[in-house]
Amino acid sequence: MCGICGCEATTAVDHDRGHDRAHEHVDTDGRRFTHVHDHGHDDAHDHARDRRHLAPVLPPRDRATVSLEAKVLAKNDSIASDTRVWLQSHNIVALNLVSSPGSGKTTLLVRTITEMRESRSIYVVEGDQETSRDAELIRETGAPAVQLNTGTGCHLDAAMVAHGITELSPADGGLVLIENVGNLVCPAMFDLGERAKVAILSVTEGDDKPLKYPHMFRAAELLLLNKIDLLPYVDFNVLAAIAHARQVNPGLTVLCVSARTGEGMPAWYRWIACQTSRGRTPVLA
Amino acid sequence: MHELGITRNIVAIVGEAARGRRIVRITLELGALAGVEARAIAFCFDVVARGTAAEGAVLDIVPLPGNELSIKTMEIEEAY
Repeated sequence: MCGICGCEATTAVDHDRGHDRAHEHVDTDGRRFTHVHDHGHDDAHDHARDRRHLAPVLPPRDRATVSLEAKVLAKNDSIASDTRVWLQSHNIVALNLVSSPGSGKTTLLVRTITEMRESRSIYVVEGDQETSRDAELIRETGAPAVQLNTGTGCHLDAAMVAHGITELSPADGGLVLIENVGNLVCPAMFDLGERAKVAILSVTEGDDKPLKYPHMFRAAELLLLNKIDLLPYVDFNVLAAIAHARQVNPGLTVLCVSARTGEGMPAWYRWIACQTSRGRTPVLA
Repeated sequence: MHELGITRNIVAIVGEAARGRRIVRITLELGALAGVEARAIAFCFDVVARGTAAEGAVLDIVPLPGNELSIKTMEIEEAY
């Protein structure tokens, strides 16, 4: 009996052990015949990786450890660094405005542009997942604005902002305000080449937000506590909010403002005036 | 959410350095203040690595203080 297929042939010769298992028999009367036991691959089945059919037995490959020491965000940081150098060479101050959605960033920008444009050229980079509504609102003030849509992305990155600034081509000595995507998490870790991050927290949010989203408040240099005109109507403890923010970032400057009524806004304009592209002047004017 | 993009960066950096060799293990140093969640990176890694030189590689994430976020080393299989 054939040991491969179990057929009744007396002698099995030339067994090709290939995948189709074709093999030749010599019958009792001396005739040779070949038949195929093709098991095909109708019954799909997985093979463990590296166990291909008829794989030669190979010695294990040598493994080598390669030292990389590569910063994961090196590409972003290098673009941001180029942007910063360019801004410095043109004496342009760029501020990265970060907050949760609905804190009043766009309203704050509109008032800032309206009240500062006599003294300074202002350019706006608008970041949102979708629509150009914010850029249109800004353009109504007369300031040049470029809208960046991140699509599914949760933050602006250095490459997007570099494109935006190139498109705006701000004049020497200008002010570039970057309105980041409303998100208190992701924008904290992406350097855009800005002079400083400015966090905005509105009094309609919780006063414990700096403790719940510490990375953003740690990354910021200035905290604008916005919508203070609503304080009589909400349970927001200003002193507790400031204490929480300074608990995660002891060096944080805090200004209380209302972008709607204009209250407190002059302190914000003075803070901006103290910024230079290379740092800030030591004493607030 | 940004962990997906960061994981893509990790896979791109090791893939470029591996120059066609298979990557077996990657060691990532991750600071507590880096703003990146280790579990989210681990979750994204298998999906992002599929079809690249890093497919099937072990990703070791070493927790550190500070804001470090860098790929320390990788282990590769040398070509025959």
